[in-house]
Amino acid sequence: MSKRILVVEDQEDNRRIVRDLLTSVGFELVEATTGEEGVQQAKLHSPDLILMDIQMPVLDGYEATRQIKSMPELRHIPIIVVTSYAMSGDEAKAQSAGADAYVAKPFSPRELLSKIQSLLS
Amino acid sequence: MTFLAWSNSFRDKLINWVAGVPARVQTKLLVAFLTIVGLLIVLGAVSLQVLNGINYQTEELIKLQRKIAAYRQVQHDTTNQLYNISTALVLRDDRMLDTALRQLGQFGYDLDRLAFVAKDESELLARVQREYGEFINVVTRVVQLVRSGSVAEAQEVQLKQSVPLADRLERLTNQLVNIAEADMVAAIEATENAYRTSRTVVIAFAIGSILLALGLGYVISWSLIEPVKKIETRLGQIAAGEFTQRVDVANRDELGLLAADVNRTSEELGNLYRQLAAASRHKSEFLANTSHELRTPLNAILGYTELIQDDIYGPVPEKIREVLNRVQSNGRHLLGLINDVLDLSKIEAGQLTLSINDYSMKEVVQTVVTTTGSLAAAKKLNLKTVIEEGLPSGRGDERRITQALLNLVGNAIKFTETGEVGIKAAAANGAFQIAVVDTGPGIPLEHQQRIFDEFQQVDSSSTRKKGGTGLGLSISKKIIELHGGRIWVESEPGKGSTFRFTLPVQLNMGEKSA
Repeated sequence: MSKRILVVEDQEDNRRIVRDLLTSVGFELVEATTGEEGVQQAKLHSPDLILMDIQMPVLDGYEATRQIKSMPELRHIPIIVVTSYAMSGDEAKAQSAGADAYVAKPFSPRELLSKIQSLLS
Repeated sequence: MTFLAWSNSFRDKLINWVAGVPARVQTKLLVAFLTIVGLLIVLGAVSLQVLNGINYQTEELIKLQRKIAAYRQVQHDTTNQLYNISTALVLRDDRMLDTALRQLGQFGYDLDRLAFVAKDESELLARVQREYGEFINVVTRVVQLVRSGSVAEAQEVQLKQSVPLADRLERLTNQLVNIAEADMVAAIEATENAYRTSRTVVIAFAIGSILLALGLGYVISWSLIEPVKKIETRLGQIAAGEFTQRVDVANRDELGLLAADVNRTSEELGNLYRQLAAASRHKSEFLANTSHELRTPLNAILGYTELIQDDIYGPVPEKIREVLNRVQSNGRHLLGLINDVLDLSKIEAGQLTLSINDYSMKEVVQTVVTTTGSLAAAKKLNLKTVIEEGLPSGRGDERRITQALLNLVGNAIKFTETGEVGIKAAAANGAFQIAVVDTGPGIPLEHQQRIFDEFQQVDSSSTRKKGGTGLGLSISKKIIELHGGRIWVESEPGKGSTFRFTLPVQLNMGEKSA
């Protein structure tokens, strides 16, 4: 059974890169383009892992992460937060929001893949 | 209200009133000094006046004394006269008669003196003179009678006329003496009273003048000191960056103008400060947006490139793979440039916030070695590290410190063609002592300071040859200085370079802004 990954990301290109990368190694992908949608999709599909972008309008990645981590049925799902470069303090904020790991943009698809695999194993 | 509170409020009102007088400080001081001088002059005049009064009283007393003496003389003369005549009548002595006549002349002199002295008792004196005239006549007649041998008649005249006349004269002169003595007593008393009054007036005037002068000095001083103190306090606040307050002084003189100027300056500074703050905020917002806008497409380009390289979209021919590698390296370079420029702008704008955490300097060095290892290996350079045993745990922004060291080591590798690049880490005097040693071309002395400035490399051709923005050293320097450290270079052309920096082991702050 293939693992299901939820990608919450407002940028089409970034979603596509992650989609192309992850489907090529056999993951099943669920996508969301806003924080609210991300929380709904997480409830709907209970993915094995969530990839959460920080910079999104309205409900940002921190808040979405916080909401998901506050739900008992979803709390166990590992969340990787994608932070933007040079925004110092992002890591600490991601951690306090309950993220399990973070990758900083620009992330190398190879590095991202290895991080996902290590969290799922 | 207690008296103290009342006097304080009165004092403040007075000071405010003086401060509010629309005159220059100079004028106020001049008026105060002139007032004091005027008081002194008036005091002097009053004293002189009193002295004159006392002098006049003394003279009057002397006159009275002389008058009394003259009256007594008249009295004495009259008595003497009677005695002489009586003796002459008894003894029938011609010499005694001569003496009596001679003394009549003396009488005239005494009376003249009386006329000079006496004024108040002129009526009485006139009677004395009349009586005296008669007395002289009677005595002269008695003498003539005695000389012509009519002694019995002389005795008759003497008894019936001279003696009563003499008695009357004595009573009259007694009256005069009594009046004069009473005058004298009254005058002495008057003098004493006048002296006491004058003394009281002079003392009161002196005390009044002194109090007025002191009060005037006090009020004027405080009307100047108070605003100066207020302005001083306000300037201190302005210096500390507080622009919203105003300084209010009652003065309508130069100090009032000064206070108004201080308020205007403060307002202007406040406006400028707000504008600057707004500009700075706009700049940092712009930077954040730009940073996001520039990186997003670039990240996509780099991401797709890597996916293609990894054959996600199918096998890639060798020739295309080679071009892809160039696309990737140029893309990474562009990203590096953008990051450097944005980093430096952030530092310049004071927007770089250090996130302070505990870190291990050993791990920082190892991260740098891991990151740059492949670069050194590609140039066949020996990358070696000397890390002192038992380095203390540091406190600071690990990511920024790594960035700073990475820039130094990256530069060393970039500019060194053969030999080695060494990283030394030690700790002394509460600071890490880091050195990056290379066997590169070295840096001429005249460039050693300049290379830490923005966009400076040893020569501009090296920028083209070696790539890079020329911002790396500048960023490293600012990061190190933000941590309270210092960076410098020791180098000689042809003998390689050593970049050294010190970094306080403990940065004892929660957060620090540039």
